Amino acid sequence: MAKFFGVVIDEKRLAAIKGTPLEEKVEPIFGGALKRLVIEVPDDLGQKVIEQFSKARFDARGFIEETPAAFKRLVFKKIVEMKSLGPEVIEAAVAEIPSIKDDIEKEDRELPVPDIDISDVLELQKNPVQKPA
Amino acid sequence: MPEVRIKTLPPPHGGKLVDRVVRDPEMARKLMQKCSAVYDIKPTLFKGNPVRNVYREIMSVCYGFFSPVEGSMTKAELESVLEKRRLLSGWVFPYPILFDISEDDLKQLRQKYGDIGPGDWLLLRLKGEPFAILEIEEIYEIVPGDVAVRTFGTPEKNPEVVKVPFDQKHTGYNIYCSLNPIILAGKYTIINEPKFRPPFDRFWYPPKRSREEFEKRGWTTVIAHQTRNVPHTGHEALMKNAAYIGDIKPCDGIVVNAIVGAKRIGDFPDEAIVEGHEMIHLAGYIKPERHLVTFTLWDMRYGNPIESLIHAVIRQNMGISFHMFGRDHAALGEYYDIYATQILWSKGIPSFGFDAPPYEVDGGFYIRPQNIAEFWYCPKCKEFAYSENCTHKGIYSRYSGSFIRGLINEGVMPPPEIYRPEVYKVVVKWWQKFGYPFNNEKYLKEREERLEVDLSHMELPAHLKK
Repeated sequence: MAKFFGVVIDEKRLAAIKGTPLEEKVEPIFGGALKRLVIEVPDDLGQKVIEQFSKARFDARGFIEETPAAFKRLVFKKIVEMKSLGPEVIEAAVAEIPSIKDDIEKEDRELPVPDIDISDVLELQKNPVQKPA
Repeated sequence: MPEVRIKTLPPPHGGKLVDRVVRDPEMARKLMQKCSAVYDIKPTLFKGNPVRNVYREIMSVCYGFFSPVEGSMTKAELESVLEKRRLLSGWVFPYPILFDISEDDLKQLRQKYGDIGPGDWLLLRLKGEPFAILEIEEIYEIVPGDVAVRTFGTPEKNPEVVKVPFDQKHTGYNIYCSLNPIILAGKYTIINEPKFRPPFDRFWYPPKRSREEFEKRGWTTVIAHQTRNVPHTGHEALMKNAAYIGDIKPCDGIVVNAIVGAKRIGDFPDEAIVEGHEMIHLAGYIKPERHLVTFTLWDMRYGNPIESLIHAVIRQNMGISFHMFGRDHAALGEYYDIYATQILWSKGIPSFGFDAPPYEVDGGFYIRPQNIAEFWYCPKCKEFAYSENCTHKGIYSRYSGSFIRGLINEGVMPPPEIYRPEVYKVVVKWWQKFGYPFNNEKYLKEREERLEVDLSHMELPAHLKK
């Protein structure tokens, strides 16, 4: 059974593929709230990706998930370089994993906290008594 | 005409709620006098990382979540559970509950306190304070790897649902493989009631209290939502829609019961899980009068159909009438069929001891399953659509917890179609606190030192101060 590798496409990534045939392959998900590119990979290559990372796994949709963000960035870089959504992109990215080893290790220790205002939820939590009827 | 209304809460599993908590300090002191030795509880480690702490099982036993289990299982009870998923009394119970210590620790206990054996009481300390007593009934040896394999099953023995052999990528399997080989069997009694740390304190509803709470709220039909996740909108749709089962009206109450304990690296921290679910009612997405967030202490085994049985035990004991079982219930990886739990709860799994669903077998449950396929987001239906209704293939988007964690990992704020913004902000709150949005090695190690509880100081009896 084939497996899939999805790369979320934000504005920056969309700009990088603008005007190329890859742009047409971008698919909307969650009603267009997010966009992504999908690479279909044979089962054995999917397994090979999983084996590279301790947390990685296939989810119930058959997608390879919980790979490091650094690996996802590398896959996107390879997509742009190779102008392809074929499995060779994943093979090339796997071959270059040693080059992102430090980034992966850092990622397991810390991730930058998003700069967003959470005061409204702290307010809601001020008296968090679960209410009986 | 048969009565269709459900007027009472289901009875406890096994008929009676276990309550083995001594709340009177004087009685606690008297019981400590009878102890022969003291042992400091240690976490179970896999490759140096904590994967389990037996204190959580002691809590769940003594507060009645695991009724009718009263302590660490004897060899005969362990065999019965592994062979038939039944206690010796005949009641269904899925997992070995064991107090394990190393050969060295047993040797040291015996050097210090004499020939400790059956009939002796062992005082268990947690965080340096007296916590519980184990009345030793039997001491025996196990082969941890064998217990692990038999707990989860194999493709050869359980071909209905086990697809591939379990290995070291499975956290639950690692828990059993990492047990110490010596088992001290016997009843537990908590003698120094732990105090939960925030935010867990406000979600602590052990069975006796949850039943009282349901009665106070006038609930007789209650549905359980199992969780180890911060809720996305698909979970919310599942909770709201599954609750329509009820009797002549939808269920009175929706109870979220989070499993709190050591989990795998990459899952969300428990603090974010319980508060994320609470935010669903604080932010008004489900009325707080109908929604109750609770938790049970248990180091998840990720055992899919086997785990669903412990969920049934816990939630029936809490007084819950129905249980949602979705795709990939309490699963990790592709070891089991993704619908293994629903197979168990619709027709049974004979190789695991169930020729019929667990509510139709002797020693089974009163709690009823609500086997749900899945919810996805469909822009054409303009709703969180049920997969058995919506046919808009290519348009709908399926949820995946792993996918959402991946988004967060990449620094992408999940859109409101996936996460309520208030729920995401709860994740950020704990991200700020721990410096990381998920369980990593640092979080898991620190939480095992901190645990979810603190204990009051209690003086040891003179004969135990060695």
